[in-house]
Amino acid sequence: MTTTEDPTRVTGRKPAQIVDMSWDPITRIIGNLGIYTKIDFANQEVVECHSTSSLFRGYSVFMKGKDPRDAGFITSRICGICGDNHTTCSNYAQQMAYGVKPPRMAENITNLGEAAEYMFDHTLFQDNLVFVDFCEAMVKATNPGVLARAERTDAPRGDIHGYRTIADIMRAFNPFEGEVYKEALKVSRVTREMFCLMEGRHVHPSTLYPGGVGTMPQPNTFTDYLARLMRVIDFVKKAVAMNDDVFDFFYEALPGYEEVGRRRIMLGCWGAWQNPDVVDYRYENMNRWGKAMYVTPGIIVDGKLVTNNLIDINLGLRVLLGSSFYDDWVNEQPFVTHDPLGNPVDMRHPWNQTTVPVPQKRDFAGNYSWVMSPRWYHPETGQHLALDTGGGPLARLWSTALSALVDTPYVKATGNSVRISLPRGEELPETTLEWRIPQWSNTIERDRARPYFVAYAAAMALQFLEESMELLRAGETKIFENFEVPDEAIGCGFHEAVRGVLSHHLVIRDQKIANYHPYPPTPWNASPRDIYGTPGPYEDAVQGQPIFEENGPDDFKGVDIMRTVRSFDPCLPCGVHMYMGKGRTLSTVHSPTYGANHG
Amino acid sequence: MSAIRVGRPQAKPDTPVHVRGLHQGNRGPYKHQTGHHEDGTSDARRSTGIHWKRHNAIMKIMPNISPG
Repeated sequence: MTTTEDPTRVTGRKPAQIVDMSWDPITRIIGNLGIYTKIDFANQEVVECHSTSSLFRGYSVFMKGKDPRDAGFITSRICGICGDNHTTCSNYAQQMAYGVKPPRMAENITNLGEAAEYMFDHTLFQDNLVFVDFCEAMVKATNPGVLARAERTDAPRGDIHGYRTIADIMRAFNPFEGEVYKEALKVSRVTREMFCLMEGRHVHPSTLYPGGVGTMPQPNTFTDYLARLMRVIDFVKKAVAMNDDVFDFFYEALPGYEEVGRRRIMLGCWGAWQNPDVVDYRYENMNRWGKAMYVTPGIIVDGKLVTNNLIDINLGLRVLLGSSFYDDWVNEQPFVTHDPLGNPVDMRHPWNQTTVPVPQKRDFAGNYSWVMSPRWYHPETGQHLALDTGGGPLARLWSTALSALVDTPYVKATGNSVRISLPRGEELPETTLEWRIPQWSNTIERDRARPYFVAYAAAMALQFLEESMELLRAGETKIFENFEVPDEAIGCGFHEAVRGVLSHHLVIRDQKIANYHPYPPTPWNASPRDIYGTPGPYEDAVQGQPIFEENGPDDFKGVDIMRTVRSFDPCLPCGVHMYMGKGRTLSTVHSPTYGANHG
Repeated sequence: MSAIRVGRPQAKPDTPVHVRGLHQGNRGPYKHQTGHHEDGTSDARRSTGIHWKRHNAIMKIMPNISPG
């Protein structure tokens, strides 16, 4: 089975042979994810998909009444791999509430830490977890015909990465023994060291505070970072070349593979890396400093930029229910009726949300998830859009490319592409990489964007380093600005967690937190059907996707579905259990290397 | 809140973590913190090592970098 046409165009469909297939839990650090599907094996497609989470954590519940200055330290614990993104985002929200702007050096140090985090996390996820689905062992077990073809296909960019055939690259992806797998582990260690130089500790930073940082800016803080960055820069160039080779090959070897995980292009990006010269954290100026960020925020629908104004993005946020284990909060007291500019704030906006958990039995016809359904209200059409993040990098690159506002020494957005220049490394010469806006928002393109964003982060880190060393030379070593906690204030922070959009909404009353709602990427991506019946992005992408796996129902691995779910980067999938119909349980346990012996 | 039964809290979550009166390290008292300037900048005198004068730049064109 190597060819598939769009199911809507196929005539003469065979009688459906539907089998329930479920993967639960696809565990991840933030929450607990299960994918329940109905697969039609006669026509090789997924008929229905539900994404469910069985874990309730309640940050928005227990944050109430706490000292707002603690928010960054507490919300960091939401995630065990991108906790610093939460701290950073929380600090952005607090800085708006307190009216404080950190010194330039502090912004640079935060930006450097975040750049290292993107490099670390994307490398670990792509090379050690995503590629398990594309490695030789997996392709042999699911599509032997494709592997045979890979053995015969020369890798077009072999001169960069050094592998002769596509199958050689796939062998290097094999877990625990492949070269790329092992090298990626080393790279993720080095990039994590870079992170620790800036933010003190991974993954819950000890030196990030609202108002500044506690990192001592001394010459070797930056030279140590630079030395490590230059050590991994060739790995980044090779990773981009290898990814392009493998993903181009999949399109070629499996015609129609672009339909896997494809959904309507509806992407959201909230922007990353503040520009210290422009940002003042005032809500009134948010559109201006939002556009100055080094990853431009934006909402993209059907390939067109709808808005890149952070105020519009903020006011359009809606948290819907429909299939979630919560009671509605419309009858509760609103916290924020108007934003500081006088625009009305909806009752379903995170500023006004009250979390009312109601545990109950899972019912796919009714409520089936602890995840709510965040949507973005599109004023022109009146629709509540189920935006996805494309795993993070796809939306970031797409939004930056379309806005064409980023123009820095190493990264340039052109309107239809992003050009990234990396300097000469140990082996490879100076290289300019170009990510072009793809035709589809699908599994392959989500995965392909990831190594490009690692290159983007490396390039931005070089700029931040140069600026920091310039400041250091001038003696501008101030890293903290004092502030008072106001009696009443509101704030919002917009940032990019590694796997996509991240917002924190904060309301302070009596110098304590009255309401706090973090919205990380997973509620967007893993959301269940909302009140209007719109499925969330995982469900939408998996539902109706063709199956290319050559195995039948008895030895089905579901690799195409797993590739789709993993392309959204649902964090570290440390266990995948598969349930097959009448009581036969197949469990495949993927353990992260470290801690594998600890039960 | 919902109808979920919860136990008695063992913590006082609104206890402030910061004690008033403690100031940021990089704002005064400048008299006792040599090397820190009132405009927020700093220079090599910030070093607490011995022979601090020797840590200054040796030529005018060189930056007087704070050693941290």
